[in-house]
Amino acid sequence: MRKRSYAIGSCGALAAAVYAIATGAAFADIIDTADPSNPHTTVYATSWDEFQALKAKANGGTKMSWSTLPDWTGLWTRAEGSGLKFDASQKSMEETTAVPSPAYQKKLTKKIADFKKGVEWDQLSFCLPAGYPRWLAEPFLKEFVLRPEESWLINEQLEEIRRVYTDGRGHIPEDEAYPLWEGDSVGFWNGDTLVLHTNNLKKGQFQRLQPDYSEKITTVEQWRKVGPDMIEDVVDVYDPEALAKPWHVVQRYQRVKTPNLRIAYWSCEENNNVTRGADGNTQFLLPGDKGYKDPNTLQDSLSQGAIPDAKK
Amino acid sequence: MKNSSRRFLMSLVAGIALAPLAYAHHSGAMFDMQKELTLQGTVKDFQYTNPHSWLIVLVKDKSGAEVEWSFETEGPSTLLQAGIKRSSLQPGDKITVKTHPMKDGRPAGTWNIVTKSDGTTLTPRSAVPGAAAPLPPSAT
Repeated sequence: MRKRSYAIGSCGALAAAVYAIATGAAFADIIDTADPSNPHTTVYATSWDEFQALKAKANGGTKMSWSTLPDWTGLWTRAEGSGLKFDASQKSMEETTAVPSPAYQKKLTKKIADFKKGVEWDQLSFCLPAGYPRWLAEPFLKEFVLRPEESWLINEQLEEIRRVYTDGRGHIPEDEAYPLWEGDSVGFWNGDTLVLHTNNLKKGQFQRLQPDYSEKITTVEQWRKVGPDMIEDVVDVYDPEALAKPWHVVQRYQRVKTPNLRIAYWSCEENNNVTRGADGNTQFLLPGDKGYKDPNTLQDSLSQGAIPDAKK
Repeated sequence: MKNSSRRFLMSLVAGIALAPLAYAHHSGAMFDMQKELTLQGTVKDFQYTNPHSWLIVLVKDKSGAEVEWSFETEGPSTLLQAGIKRSSLQPGDKITVKTHPMKDGRPAGTWNIVTKSDGTTLTPRSAVPGAAAPLPPSAT
């Protein structure tokens, strides 16, 4: 159900321009998302409406086989110049491209004011996951494993895996659903574009110094390879509590070409000596401080600590 | 060289446009980004770990006493993209470190650039395409 015009094409063109300026890439390498025939020139009442409209436009979706899946192999990371902004086209700390609801704008204003006073805290410092959709704006390595019936979108940090079901199933029934770090994603293929809808998400923030979002958040994404070394995700974020209107963002990921590089499993606890000070700010424990966890002896000290407890 | 210069320039622009230091796992609010120190010392330990690596260096203060400094940098996958391997620094290596120190005066800070005695420079954040570089140092 179409509601109102939504000038998204210009956002895509701007993001492409930012990317091109940042990397010197030729525009010819990128499919211009400003194409007026792109269905993202319209906003819908809900993300599900948009997802269904895209599915109808794709005649129900393309049935994929192992031989027809696109090649997204390799390692990827956020395109240069993105910083820790959810929208790479954001120009300054105060100028989010989102339109937060009044209550969430107030939260954002406070967050930025606190930062300017030198106070900032991030849940990641407790080794909690980034969660989706912040997942999109994390600067670590990414890997995409595509199968006809299910795809895995993997971020290196905490091995956060988004599972996207393309076997025709629907979302988790409402009476069984509960908030998840990566949410519940179902999708279909439209040619070489992976279209997905995500719901059942935990609340969070789009990134540090970015707006917060509520558990009402849902998204529609369109992933596709736009050049040999660039993958793009066109994202529409809906959150009737946190956003005054849907937020359209183009995310880009560039190929990482470092020889021998692989994604390795790691634990955030293996060397995390970040603490939160009394003023709410981020601080470190340094070697010699009480409570400092030396990464060279962490495993031994933990196992030694378990022995006396076991004897009690 | 051309690519790295362009990357540095764009990182600098990103850093200016969105001031916070873009450490992925925690805020950089504890660092004084307007101040850069250059310290000489001896490597004690290179903790090549996640979510961040740390370089522990013994630095002599004005009285000649050894002070243990800790410099934080990125995790291994990012360091590898910058050509920094676990074997790049060994205990006993004489180095020079450029750092944005902690605001509270404790002996720690960011690892901006390490220069080894043979002139080799190790710049971890040169390879963080998705993150902003530290702000340019002040004139001091």
